[in-house]
Amino acid sequence: MAERRLTNMIRTLRFHAGEMTQAELGEKIGVTRQTVAAIEQGKYSPTLETAFRIADVFGVGLDEVFSWAEA
Amino acid sequence: MAFREKMAWLTLVTMLVAYGVYFGIVGPAVRFGEGRMLDIIWSFGLVATAHAIAVIIGAIAIAVTATKEAQAKADERDRAIARRGATIGYYVLIVGMILVGVVMPFSDPPWKIVNTALLAIVLAETVNNVVVLLSYRRGWHG
Repeated sequence: MAERRLTNMIRTLRFHAGEMTQAELGEKIGVTRQTVAAIEQGKYSPTLETAFRIADVFGVGLDEVFSWAEA
Repeated sequence: MAFREKMAWLTLVTMLVAYGVYFGIVGPAVRFGEGRMLDIIWSFGLVATAHAIAVIIGAIAIAVTATKEAQAKADERDRAIARRGATIGYYVLIVGMILVGVVMPFSDPPWKIVNTALLAIVLAETVNNVVVLLSYRRGWHG
């Protein structure tokens, strides 16, 4: 079975949201800027609740933020 | 670097220096507690106090340079990383406690048992901090 990992479009979504900063996004979803950076870089897999919060901030569905792609 | 990562570095470095001196240099040289058990309290207590003071001063310095961040509550990633460090550190502590509580009483004098117990605590805390730092650096996918 091909190895898969969680990827995300947060950087792109932040850009389209008026170049929202990591700190601003972190404040909206209740995590630190470093945690947002870690999520973006694929260094941390957020909880389902935080994942939904991120999608909510950008007004998109969860599958538009995260995908389970082949590594 | 995250505030809590800096704190973990501070704790680890000061701990390695303080207890490295006790167990690596001073401890073996004078064999604390061999003659009088109370010597352990004076020697280890002194090192532990020096360590605590160094951590407090360092923590204040870190908090001053990162005021807003220092006030922020630990988020889910911080808590997950802290749990991971504590869990692995706990296993180290358990092994140490089995050694000093079950094995050593049959073969070693009290001062050795006490010093080994203190070493187990220091090792467990060191492992805890190393795991925390690795998790911040390399990532966490719990």
